[in-house]
Amino acid sequence: MQWGAVCPYKGYVHILVVEDEQKMAQALREGLEADGYSVRAAYTGEEGAYLIQAQPFDLVILDVMLPGHDGFEILATLRKRGTRTPVMLLTSRDAVEDRVRGLDTGADDYLVKPFAFPELLARTRALLRRGKPDANPHFRLADLEMDVARRSVVRNGQSLDLTAREFDLVEYLFENQGRVVSREMLARDIWHETSRQTPLDNVIDAQMVRLRRKLDGQFDRKLLHTVRGVGFVLRDEDGP
Amino acid sequence: MRRPRHLRTRLTLWYVSVLAGLLTLAWACTCALLFFQLRSQLDRFAIEEIETVEGLFYFTADGQLHIRENYHNHPESKEVIERYLEVLAPDGAVLFRNERLGNRPLGGPPFSGEGVGGYSARSARLLDGTRVRLVSRVHVLDGHHLLIRLAHSEETLFTRLRELMAASLVVLPVVLAAAGLAGYGLARRALSPIEQMARRAQEITPEKLDARLPNDQADDELGQLARVFNQTLARLEQAFEQLRRFTSDASHELRTPLAMIRSVGEVGLQKDGARAEYRDIIGSMLEEVNRLTTLIDNLLTISRADSGSIQLHRTVVPVMALAREAAALFEILLEEKAQRLFVEGEEDAQVEGDYVFLRQALVNVIHNAVKYSPVGETILVRVRTTASQLVVVEIQDHGPGIPVEDQPKIFNRFYRVDKARWRESGGAGLGLSIVKWTIEAHGGTVTLSSVPNQGCTFRISLPASDLPAQGSPAGLLGQREST
Repeated sequence: MQWGAVCPYKGYVHILVVEDEQKMAQALREGLEADGYSVRAAYTGEEGAYLIQAQPFDLVILDVMLPGHDGFEILATLRKRGTRTPVMLLTSRDAVEDRVRGLDTGADDYLVKPFAFPELLARTRALLRRGKPDANPHFRLADLEMDVARRSVVRNGQSLDLTAREFDLVEYLFENQGRVVSREMLARDIWHETSRQTPLDNVIDAQMVRLRRKLDGQFDRKLLHTVRGVGFVLRDEDGP
Repeated sequence: MRRPRHLRTRLTLWYVSVLAGLLTLAWACTCALLFFQLRSQLDRFAIEEIETVEGLFYFTADGQLHIRENYHNHPESKEVIERYLEVLAPDGAVLFRNERLGNRPLGGPPFSGEGVGGYSARSARLLDGTRVRLVSRVHVLDGHHLLIRLAHSEETLFTRLRELMAASLVVLPVVLAAAGLAGYGLARRALSPIEQMARRAQEITPEKLDARLPNDQADDELGQLARVFNQTLARLEQAFEQLRRFTSDASHELRTPLAMIRSVGEVGLQKDGARAEYRDIIGSMLEEVNRLTTLIDNLLTISRADSGSIQLHRTVVPVMALAREAAALFEILLEEKAQRLFVEGEEDAQVEGDYVFLRQALVNVIHNAVKYSPVGETILVRVRTTASQLVVVEIQDHGPGIPVEDQPKIFNRFYRVDKARWRESGGAGLGLSIVKWTIEAHGGTVTLSSVPNQGCTFRISLPASDLPAQGSPAGLLGQREST
């Protein structure tokens, strides 16, 4: 399956994945390639450090626990040389110290394993988009339209009555249109929940049921879908 | 010198040397006392003798001084035979010397005031080196001043002293040896419980923590030591038991989703299904992965809490705002179940603590209340400050309550009242144990009172803070990661 729509320009975006677990590196590579990026994988810290020097990348996804030079060392060398390439750290250690150390060393983002793949994609997009104005306050999918500035959502010409949270959700789903958003992403970005332990899944599910009722309830053409085990996606599956 | 290895040897050595010192001192005192007593006895004899001989002297017609020797009833008496006698004129001229003395001078020329108005006693030596004790006395006879000197040998005195010393040299080591042996035996007996305890302690391993030290009934210091040690062992055993149970529970909890992932995957691979079917299979596996992830996150929190490596970032936390924020999270669930949740109480109640952890604790308890309350029920969150400076948060629901036998275990890890239902309600039984840890780490307590079929009330008590509030709680949420 594809995680998202392939945009033609993405073929020019180069991502380096430095990860010693070959299975993980392979999955990252395939997942990112399916999303339209050009991906190069390195399995050791040395190889990664060499590749970063040898050719320009738009983004480096760096595992912290690497044999030889660990991710922090590579990152430190990179930043010392003045390279500004955005770096996303991956680690299985959910320790605050690690997070702080990573961000201090110059990482742009930090993802704790195990993570949901849509989350990685969303953060990748966010890092690549960084600094570029996000000037699209108007979304459209089939007969669903959203005007962010005027805070209005219209389906089939009919204005929908949404709560503030529902409005945020629709905007978020539109921003990730065609891509799956995980419950974790929603918990963090919509509910602003910092702790992974907060039992929010029931809340999110209930909220999505209600939103689906408002968006799709009286229409045959369903736009908001649940992807089992992963999350939700705003997509027009019946469309042309 | 190397220190002896055994405590009992060291004790005995100490004891014997102290005893030897004391005995030597006592013996030296005895010798001195004896010496002075014998000498004063000699002096007394000499004085008596002088008084006797004074009356025995007479001048012959030619002016020679003589003594009447036939006076004594017992002339063979030792004191008489062995006495030395000399009479001097004031100018030092020798007037008389008895036979035993012969030509030897006794004490040399007289010094001024010798023997005047009393008896002068002193020690002296004869020419041949004999030690003598001599007493002088001035006596007037026929108008002549006579200085009478009478002496006895001190040899007997020294012989007695030497005899005493010889006896002591034989007796003292024997006494010391006997005392040492007895002391060693005593020390050994007194210390034998330690050896028993050491032997038993050696047998104690993590696998055999139920062993206890012997001698813990004794009322002495060693008994106390054994009791304290046994109490420590009991605590250790309990901790190990908890750890063992935790590990076994944790592996069970981890194995359940893993087993499901495996079965679903294996069965799925055997099928030649449609694309949609595969997606469903993978989705089902991912659901279990999510469960595993949550479980591991919780386990990580617990293990960090256990090892004490969680640092609380304390600020002043307004409790009402905290409760409202925690409750607001469940707004949608409440609406779905037509439940109502009220947060009421004292607006100015505040505690000092880690906002994120305290919020998590409240969220967990409120989530429980929402989860287990039936449709249409009311949940009440009440905040108040007690007279004893505690902020009490009560979360009251009208759910099925918790059976009495389960109430004490409700905060235990992995404990679930309804074991069959946990998967649909989505918990692994860690939420309340995290609540308990959080509240206790903040110096508070959390208790439960529940009447089955009438609901339950969780009561969280935390020390109140009287510091001025600082900033808004929203600012603390700014820690969220960049996206």
